[in-house]
Amino acid sequence: MAQPFPYTYYSCDCYDSKTASIPTKRSSQPPPPEDEDERTFDPRNPRSNYSLYPLEHLLYCEDCQQIRCPRCVIEETLNWFCPSCLFEVPSSMIKSEGNRCTRNCYNCPVCTSPMMVNSLEPPDPNTDDRSGIGGPWVLSCPYCHWSTVDIGIEFEKHTGITQQLSRIANGGKPIPTQKERDKERDRRKELESKKKEREILSESDDSPTVDRRRVDGSLSHEELFSNLSAFYKSQIASATPSNPFSPHDINFSSPSSFSRIMNLYSSTSSKKQKQAKPTPMREAASTLEGLTIHDSAADATAIERIKKEGWSITLSSTQKHDQLNPNMQFDDELRPVATLLRTKRGKRCRNCRHILSKPESKITSTRYKIKLLALNHIPRLSLRALSTTTAQQNPTPGTSAPLTFDYNALKSGIPTHFLLTLSNPLFDPIRVTLATPSTTPGKIQSRITILCPQFEVGANTDVWDDALSSSLSPVKRGSVIGPDGQIQGGIEAGKIWDRGRNWTRVVIEIVPGFLKPVTGLAFGGNGGVPEEMLNEDEDVLEIPIFVRLEFEADVSAEDRGLSDSKESEKDKREKREEAFWTVIGVGRIAAI
Amino acid sequence: MSSSIGGDRKVSLGRSVRGTTPRLKDLASTPESPRTPLFRSTSSAYGSPGGSFRTEDEYIVLELGSRFVRGGFPGESTPRCTLSFGPDEQRRVGDYRQWDPEYTLARRKRKRGQEWGQEYELYQMDLSQLDMGLVEDKFERAMREAYNKYFLLDPKPRRILLALPPLMPRQLLSTVLGVLFGNFQAPSITLMASPVLSSVAAGLRSALVVDIGWAETTVTGIYEYREVHQRKSIRAGKLLSKEMAKLLNHELDEWIDDPNAPKTEISFEEAEEVLSRVGWCKSRPKSNRRTLYFPARTSPVLEEFEDAVESPEPVITIPFPRNVPPTELTIPFASLAKPAETALFAPNTALNEFDDDELPLHHLIYRTLLSLPMDVRGLCMSRIVITGGVSSLPGLKTRILSELDALVQQRGWDPVRSYGSASERHERILRERKENLERRREEGTDKVGESLNPETPLSAALQEQEEDAIEHKLAHLALKNGPPPVCTTGGTIRGVETLGAWAGASLVAQLRIRGIVEVERDKFLQHGLAGANREKDVSVVPQRQSIGPGVGRGAGERGSWTLGVWA
Repeated sequence: MAQPFPYTYYSCDCYDSKTASIPTKRSSQPPPPEDEDERTFDPRNPRSNYSLYPLEHLLYCEDCQQIRCPRCVIEETLNWFCPSCLFEVPSSMIKSEGNRCTRNCYNCPVCTSPMMVNSLEPPDPNTDDRSGIGGPWVLSCPYCHWSTVDIGIEFEKHTGITQQLSRIANGGKPIPTQKERDKERDRRKELESKKKEREILSESDDSPTVDRRRVDGSLSHEELFSNLSAFYKSQIASATPSNPFSPHDINFSSPSSFSRIMNLYSSTSSKKQKQAKPTPMREAASTLEGLTIHDSAADATAIERIKKEGWSITLSSTQKHDQLNPNMQFDDELRPVATLLRTKRGKRCRNCRHILSKPESKITSTRYKIKLLALNHIPRLSLRALSTTTAQQNPTPGTSAPLTFDYNALKSGIPTHFLLTLSNPLFDPIRVTLATPSTTPGKIQSRITILCPQFEVGANTDVWDDALSSSLSPVKRGSVIGPDGQIQGGIEAGKIWDRGRNWTRVVIEIVPGFLKPVTGLAFGGNGGVPEEMLNEDEDVLEIPIFVRLEFEADVSAEDRGLSDSKESEKDKREKREEAFWTVIGVGRIAAI
Repeated sequence: MSSSIGGDRKVSLGRSVRGTTPRLKDLASTPESPRTPLFRSTSSAYGSPGGSFRTEDEYIVLELGSRFVRGGFPGESTPRCTLSFGPDEQRRVGDYRQWDPEYTLARRKRKRGQEWGQEYELYQMDLSQLDMGLVEDKFERAMREAYNKYFLLDPKPRRILLALPPLMPRQLLSTVLGVLFGNFQAPSITLMASPVLSSVAAGLRSALVVDIGWAETTVTGIYEYREVHQRKSIRAGKLLSKEMAKLLNHELDEWIDDPNAPKTEISFEEAEEVLSRVGWCKSRPKSNRRTLYFPARTSPVLEEFEDAVESPEPVITIPFPRNVPPTELTIPFASLAKPAETALFAPNTALNEFDDDELPLHHLIYRTLLSLPMDVRGLCMSRIVITGGVSSLPGLKTRILSELDALVQQRGWDPVRSYGSASERHERILRERKENLERRREEGTDKVGESLNPETPLSAALQEQEEDAIEHKLAHLALKNGPPPVCTTGGTIRGVETLGAWAGASLVAQLRIRGIVEVERDKFLQHGLAGANREKDVSVVPQRQSIGPGVGRGAGERGSWTLGVWA
């Protein structure tokens, strides 16, 4: 695991509760035979990856009194900003300009690091200021030294890169804007129709398959799309006047609604038009309309290029995916990638729609207006090894620092003790019941015993209360541990190990399982059966623990508000209970 | 429409998703805060058109495949995001190992009992092996990423146009819809079949869409935007990448040349990377004419490449940083075309040895064309649209088209493959017919390819046409007023490029074309897929006719909904 051992994950059970709500979700498999309460959580199940979260990632809904994971919250965007220049983008811009920064923020298409605008001219050593530098500018990557020079793009100004970039194609040729393209398309269409007329007049009847209209090679994806789109629009527009009361596209922006409104005023003409049978929409007939006939020459040149220039000119799949147009193949087609905008989002509970977290709207602020963290409502479980075994084996007084326990090499078959600490963030004492399967699920079965599964944890009172009232000081385990660090009293079942103000420790005994089946050892070397390779992370010892809390809490403010408000607040205590699964990653079992 | 209940529901929905109100109490206690509901379903044709103005243009376009989900907005040529389902996307929250340089350099092992690339799939068609909950989890996470990272929407609920493969298990469909309705608050979802959308994105009304996807290749005949026939083969991306891995393993073992070294087993990523970067497909080999019935000169095969071996054999060096030790493999360029050859065309296997689901691509396409009605075939064969992830392999489209062309030249449109003892006579007839056709082509009087009737060797269709002056005039008129002649091209093998199903969906959504299958959120959440009408064509009629404003709208609102081809 990328997280250092030992770690704790908390399970949010939102997917379990959700499956029942949609009635037709009949699974082809029979439902699991056990009752839901008896099912133990399996951290090896691929699904558990989606329900386990570190405690820090979880929120807590105070009204539902449940953990809320990123799955069971509704997110709503508060504002948009560019993570690179921290410029806030208004929502209208998001609609019109898209989800990327429209200023100078670009990421390297090769290595994704942020790019810088540099001058091609060597900076004049005499003048220090930027304004003195002139000449063509380029975007360059400070990490991998890719720059727009590689694709033949230079900029005249060092600001407004996006506008400049949108007008230059790779190689330095200008890209016509959408308007120019539309105009050009219309012009050429007109030419074509004139030509057609001439053809008809001259009665030249040539083979229709010959596409003589391909003038300038292959068009870009974008251009083809706009051609197609324009073609369909014109087709639909020419088809709809006969059908002015079409209920489907009543819309100001569509041409049909214009015609509908016009028809309302000139009803006679519309009647005439209605009688005319609409000609069916035809298909695209030329490149100008978005039709591209497959051209084997393009294939051939691509193969030739790979053959000649090899691996290095091709793009990796991640590089392709980062590009706006993922259909490219060679490195001279790369474009700098504008930085994706980020958002600040508030979160609401999916059930009761209460706000769970809401950041301050200022971009540079990292504070929150509302933040209901699970950290403040759910006891934190943490595990660490009880250092006794190592201490006993190495009683040399010379080593002052105790040997650190190697969580990455748990020894199979040797009972090891761990201390499980529960710390309580609540202001009420809690009664905790822990439950765990006696052997871990999965291929490698380790035995787990919680020596004291039921105990209490003190309230999270003021720190000073604890310090001031010495009488309240809890049982100190220190008396049992001798000066040499050895345990004198030993580990007793049914008793807690240690306790503090708002935390309690109990001992867990774990016997890590064997990576290989034990029977193989007995037969010695004649094991002809090829071992099955372990899957990734299968040697990680993870124990599922079910935690159940009981405590008495003040009735929440809103409930109280609904009931009689005159009642004294102190009497209103309610019994509450909380239960969830956790998974504790103990360590990695060492191969023998 | 349910007026009061539905209305209430929408109000509360609108409030909650929009709400920027910080006061908790307000949200909890007052459901009827004076606010304009965002989504009103009561906008009818009697009302002002402005009523529907706001809601109707808000669409999200999604395309669902077995390995990728593409998402974006209508009117854009490329999707905003393409999300995959690799193991890195399936980690626990807080598990950051994919950014650990040590970890990324290590070669990943396949899990026990998992098929090649199974970890990278969202779903597979065999539902008995599939954990629906896991599919839901994966899809939900991917969609959450799409919404939060790429779409960056304001909290207005948006309709969804979902492009799907036309054959989709209902359970899978229900899972996908459940996620979109439940977690992402889509007010309605329109389903469209991806082959149809591919043909839309090619600018065609009829097409033969060859979708070379991940798990299978589907060949779909589309006629006037309707799917008329479909065939499948497992010769697709999965097999191809498996073959590539096999080849690379073999080459790496030879390259290292150490008998003690363990057998190389390259990971899925490495095979994919090599395939997508330097994989290619040979053009049709000239020598491969074992089964020809007539002299080869009659088949005009496109030949860009010479099969002659180039004197210094071109090689390609591929880095393998994940190998132990890291190495660079130099292999002949020609061998990188072998996986495509064996996986997709299987030239060394006799046709009778293939199972029904593993036909080589050109045979699959040919058989699909063969089983289409004649006039549909004529249109479809000159509108072959090859799409799907694998289709970007350089040379593949050319190869498929030339193989197909050769196949058609060879066999004609004769469903009988072997005439047994009569084959000699049949060959003679064919040859005569071919020559006849050739001659006519040379004369420049080529007509749309007729279906060839095997019983009558020199049918009337093959004889010289009589000139009909009136018909000529009519044709001339049609040429002048009707669609350009390219629109009616048929009878020849011709490939047409498409922008892909996603772009098609984007076009359709931009043009506000309502789909036949439109699922409303409330109805789905009430009844699930079981609420769908059994009749497949429920909404075609209200779509096509406009009986008047009131009726039209009523039909548009759709009391019942259908699953169309997915039913």
